[in-house]
Amino acid sequence: MFRYIPLMLKNCWRNRRRTILTIVSIGVSMCLLGVIISVFHAFYLSDPTPDQALRLVTRNRISLTQPLPQSYRERIKQVPGIREVMIAQWFGGVYKDSRNPDNMFARFAVEPEKLFGIYGELTIPDDQKRAFERERTACVIGRDLANKLNFHIGDRITLVGDIFPGKYEFTVRGIFDSPRASSVLYFNREYLEQSLPEGRRGNAGTFDILVDRAENAPHIAQVVDDEFLNSPARTKTESEQAFVLGFVSFLGNVKMFLLSVSAAVMFTILLVSANTMAMSVRERVREVGVLKTLGFTPGAILGLILGEACAISLAGALVGYTISMMLTNGIRKSPFGGFLPPIAAFEPGVALVCVAAAGFIGLISSLVPAWGASRTPIVEALRSTD
Amino acid sequence: MTDNIVISTRGLNKEFIRDEFHVVALQDVGLDIHKGEFIALMGPSGSGKSTLLHLIAAMDTATGGEIRVLGQDLRALSDRQIAHWRNENIGFIFQSFNLIPVLTALENVELPLKLTNLKKQERIDHATTALQLVGLGDRLGHYPRQLSGGQEQRVAIARAIVTDPSLILADEPTGNLDASSAEEILTLVSRLNKEHGKTVVMVTHDPHAARFASKIRYLEKGALLSEGAVPAN
Repeated sequence: MFRYIPLMLKNCWRNRRRTILTIVSIGVSMCLLGVIISVFHAFYLSDPTPDQALRLVTRNRISLTQPLPQSYRERIKQVPGIREVMIAQWFGGVYKDSRNPDNMFARFAVEPEKLFGIYGELTIPDDQKRAFERERTACVIGRDLANKLNFHIGDRITLVGDIFPGKYEFTVRGIFDSPRASSVLYFNREYLEQSLPEGRRGNAGTFDILVDRAENAPHIAQVVDDEFLNSPARTKTESEQAFVLGFVSFLGNVKMFLLSVSAAVMFTILLVSANTMAMSVRERVREVGVLKTLGFTPGAILGLILGEACAISLAGALVGYTISMMLTNGIRKSPFGGFLPPIAAFEPGVALVCVAAAGFIGLISSLVPAWGASRTPIVEALRSTD
Repeated sequence: MTDNIVISTRGLNKEFIRDEFHVVALQDVGLDIHKGEFIALMGPSGSGKSTLLHLIAAMDTATGGEIRVLGQDLRALSDRQIAHWRNENIGFIFQSFNLIPVLTALENVELPLKLTNLKKQERIDHATTALQLVGLGDRLGHYPRQLSGGQEQRVAIARAIVTDPSLILADEPTGNLDASSAEEILTLVSRLNKEHGKTVVMVTHDPHAARFASKIRYLEKGALLSEGAVPAN
């Protein structure tokens, strides 16, 4: 079969414009498919990092929007196997003009002395960390955010609260590095607490928990929830990954959405490819007759045409996946990247799915015309006009 | 003499339905062609010349009668076996050359050898030799569009002989050529017959072309006229 490859490739290149347009069409679709599968993989199939595997998040069982009493923290900390518990509060708010997407970044009120212990993958110079812990209005920001908005140590940042009304002024005391997107600002929860009216104090959005061993995490999560089984505000404790997925589920049935779009994309590519292959084969019926006259078997003809379609599809997949890697990298570094699980620009499993999808599309799209051509009687094929 | 018969047909029939009309393309054709002969099949359009050629090449199947080519009963072979048999034993020359446009002259001639067990270098050597034999040793890398009609047909002849078949079948090989190119092609086919011992069956309308053959047989309305007979009109 290998000896037919040059013929196959030359046939692909027979109508260059059409082949290039087909490759581009498949490439665009495969790019979209690559991004969607990367996101899907990151959400639903990727393993947690070692740091993530040690973390649990406890929230109100009713909804993430419902707070929990901060007093739960001490009770949670009593659970065996828990090394640290930190209150984290989603702040929201507006920085300058909210219509500018660059001004969108995550803001959390946290306990400064615990932040870098629980999120061990975040690195920050010791002096900056100490300054953050010391100063009530201090904040630390991720490197991505600092680079994007040109923030430096000592700069002042003003946020206007929406969930927590008021004007909050912070001083940048540290810039941390993170292996994932770091368009995020952390500030001292005490500052938020003291700014709130009496009735709104003493609450926690979530409790971020650090456990001693990853394999104990599911059991600990159960013990924590059992602890508050009969409390007025029951808890839901889950892995950090599951928590992020819960966050994403606010958007709707994301899993179904991603799968539906993937299916639609696949179907579109299939139509494009099938149309191209049908045209390509129809133009060459006479040549098929000639090849058969020379001694090519119907199987060889079938293989040639299927191989041709697969080559075009795979070229499209290569182009598409290369672009999708760039886009995925862009998503990872975008403001939204901080809300998502880490999305790898190159993921072997995703690449494999894209290649397999391209091969499948090549085969299916050309099967009918290839089968028809391989079965056309020689005399009939030779009679057809170009 | 019987041992020398390479093509033998007895009571050969070919009928088909086209646009609801029942067409009798060949009826009761009995023909013996001996090894080394150069036969011209002549007759008006629709007389069944090409149909007979296609049946000899196993490109089509008869609806009745017997046909043995090179001692082989073609009806006993599967599609796959027929394809291999054709590759090994038949060289076919078309009227409209039918070269693959995306392949060079060398690649076109190499094409039938891809179905053999020859290694790449051997295939190239054989194809080069065949092209040299037809006088195109200096056009190996040329694409069909870069060749004249006569040169294209010579490439097609090289392709037909590259597997060294015993039987060469030509369907109006000069039909698309000017007089001078036609002369060259017919001389070449004649050389293949005389110098290389190939048995040639050529379908033609052209009486001048037929003169290159050692024997002329006529078909009329699907029937083969007896040897030496010519159509009345």
